[in-house]
Amino acid sequence: MTELDPVIHAQARLRVVATLASLAPDDRITFPRLQKLLDMTAGNLSTHLRRLEEAGYVTITKTHEGRTPATYVQLTGTGRVAFDRYTTTLRAVLGGAS
Amino acid sequence: MDDETDPAPASAAEALSIISAQRRVAWQTVPSSALLFLVWGGAWLVGYGGLWLSADERGRPSVGAAVLAVALAVAAVATTILHSVARTRGIAGDSARQGALYGWAWFVGYLAMGWIISALSAAGASYEVVGLAANSVAALVAGLLYLAGGILWRATAMYVLGAWIALVGAASAFAGLPTSYLWLSLAGGGGMLTAGLVEAVRRRAAP
Repeated sequence: MTELDPVIHAQARLRVVATLASLAPDDRITFPRLQKLLDMTAGNLSTHLRRLEEAGYVTITKTHEGRTPATYVQLTGTGRVAFDRYTTTLRAVLGGAS
Repeated sequence: MDDETDPAPASAAEALSIISAQRRVAWQTVPSSALLFLVWGGAWLVGYGGLWLSADERGRPSVGAAVLAVALAVAAVATTILHSVARTRGIAGDSARQGALYGWAWFVGYLAMGWIISALSAAGASYEVVGLAANSVAALVAGLLYLAGGILWRATAMYVLGAWIALVGAASAFAGLPTSYLWLSLAGGGGMLTAGLVEAVRRRAAP
């Protein structure tokens, strides 16, 4: 299991990345919708997103829709590649074990 | 590091099951084609079925059946819009743009159909010619847009359904009125219901 990306190989962050990776490649999602899909507290999700942003796996964009501020989260190309590599490694680990 | 509070999955198998669970959760951000096929299939089955059942010997349906058909179409449009908006709330980007343009394509298609039918009627086409054209063009518009949707979302069932609806609708014109209504009800509506069931089963079986 040593080859698994430590940024992704953590229960909560894996859920965040897997959810973002399920969206179409150029799609982004608002923070509240993502929070609802993950059923996490805002503080918790922020912490995980910050870590993912530091790794270059997500971009967080703050914008305005009319007068209300909106925060969008998107998986970067790097993040998508890292997630693909992570799932490939998982399958290899499972295949090797059985 | 917050890794103390976010432990690694116990095993590779657990990690994979977390991934597939989240993929299922993310389906909530995409309109359900199964639901929409079932809604539209029901509307066509009952709407066109009513037009066929109520038709007199010259092929003219009753006003009540026509009102029911229009009401079902309006309800199906409303369901489609509300469902799609609710599912895609908070998602922006290419797919949102694609979905909006696809929705408008239906509007354009049926607006164009309205003009064609009005023009045929104004040019003196008989009641039967107008009715047959309305039925087959309605099916052609739906069929071509399902074909396009099948290509856009790589949805095989949708593509097959599009080909089926376009061809069955066109062929139904040979049957004359009121039998054309029966074709659209059973083959058209039935085809959509079948596609809806296929999609629902496929989704349930997905990893």
